[in-house]
Amino acid sequence: MELNLNKHISGQFNVELEQIRNDVLKMGGLVEQQLTNALNAVTEADQELARHVLETDFQVNKMEVQIDEACTRIIAKRQPAASDLRLVLAIIKTITDLERIGDEAERIAKVALESFNKEQQEFLVSMDNMGRKALVMLHDVLDAFARMDVESAFKVHTADKVLDKEYEAITRQLMTYMMEDPRSIPKVMDVIWSVRSLERIGDRCQNISEYIIYFVKGKDVRHTSQSDIKDNVL
Amino acid sequence: MISVAPDMSNKSSSNIDIDNLTKEQIALEIKNLNLFYGEKQALENISMVIPKGQVTAFIGPSGCGKSTLLRCMNRMNDLVDTCNIKGEILLHDQNIYDRSVDVASLRRKVGMVFQRPNPFPKSIYENVVYGLRLQGINDRRELDEVVEKSLTNAALWNEVKDRLHDSALGLSGGQQQRLVIARAIAIEPEVLLLDEPTSALDPISTLTIEELITELKDKYTVVIVTHNMQQAARVSDQTAFMYMGQLIEHSDTNALFTTPKMKKTEDYITGRYG
Repeated sequence: MELNLNKHISGQFNVELEQIRNDVLKMGGLVEQQLTNALNAVTEADQELARHVLETDFQVNKMEVQIDEACTRIIAKRQPAASDLRLVLAIIKTITDLERIGDEAERIAKVALESFNKEQQEFLVSMDNMGRKALVMLHDVLDAFARMDVESAFKVHTADKVLDKEYEAITRQLMTYMMEDPRSIPKVMDVIWSVRSLERIGDRCQNISEYIIYFVKGKDVRHTSQSDIKDNVL
Repeated sequence: MISVAPDMSNKSSSNIDIDNLTKEQIALEIKNLNLFYGEKQALENISMVIPKGQVTAFIGPSGCGKSTLLRCMNRMNDLVDTCNIKGEILLHDQNIYDRSVDVASLRRKVGMVFQRPNPFPKSIYENVVYGLRLQGINDRRELDEVVEKSLTNAALWNEVKDRLHDSALGLSGGQQQRLVIARAIAIEPEVLLLDEPTSALDPISTLTIEELITELKDKYTVVIVTHNMQQAARVSDQTAFMYMGQLIEHSDTNALFTTPKMKKTEDYITGRYG
């Protein structure tokens, strides 16, 4: 669907909608950077970068609050209808998920503050591997949001399965390791939590892809199977 | 449709299916209505049903024909010399444009309230009973009953019960409009046509009238023309969008204001028209 923000009779309304949309993209870019930094910090054992991620999270939170306020103002003053209303609602929901992705990145960065022995570092490699896939999902869903592209949003929706499978595999691997060496449990738990975070990031990207479909098609596809979405919505 | 349990998606504002109504659920049925003012065609082949006991709102830009269509429903356009109407409007299976129909009795069944409150320069009491007196009803007790009932239904009774014999012109605009509605419902019409009933009123009076409309639909079928889209969204069960003499989209109000089917409707309700 073509995004026609600039055709309202009220020029100010255009400006306001354009503004919140740009802010979401800006916030998305920031969150993407946070996740990239967190993953890099872990693989390169870069504690400074990890601390930077922890210190920057407040910016993401601040943006969430600001965009929420802007959306509230638009609802109060403009009474948006139809696609305008759906855009505002999609944005309100999207930024909640983006903020949570920011939190997950923070949790992952904390792993970089620990030290791991050689054997344990193998796990970090599998985690990084999974992390890059989550990063691609986040990138793609933000891209789909920028263009309000249903097809690419749906691709992100299906990509989540891959991440879920990988999560299961890594968890199984880590549990075996913990059984063999119980003293490693505290450290491995940190890794497990991070892998869990990555899995959650996949879910949140999937959520955002659902909001994009809702905005464009006007159909709420939450809790709907992918085959149903494919057959009945796209 | 997507099967989701429980199905909350696109919850309709009314519990009827506009495309599959039984005869008992239909108040008015418009069939292939064309209307010309001289050479100019003002309504193009309009076909739709007005469901019984519901509020149907007409929205659309100025000059789109929505008021014209409303006026057709109780033959107000008969007063316009150059007006030429083809097609049918059925009330109880009878075409109201049939020669045998008595216009005065039609208007008793299909009452109308206009944009500006137009009380007669008489007392509040006489305004309400005006229609009954025309019908030859003069029994004091019967009239008293009707006055109380109509003013109560029009949410005006408490404000005027102590000054029923004062002039209606001394009432505020919002009160006058409610008085006019009381006058319209005193003769117990089946359908009540409201032509921009709140456009001359302040926001508080507007809300009072809107509240009243919601209550009226228990007893009457209400058809309202409004320039205020939020008002249509608030008070109506069904909304019809008209543009340049054509009926573009007619559907459940909740659906129309969140996910309109037609591009023109979308453009209009989001303020992209023009």
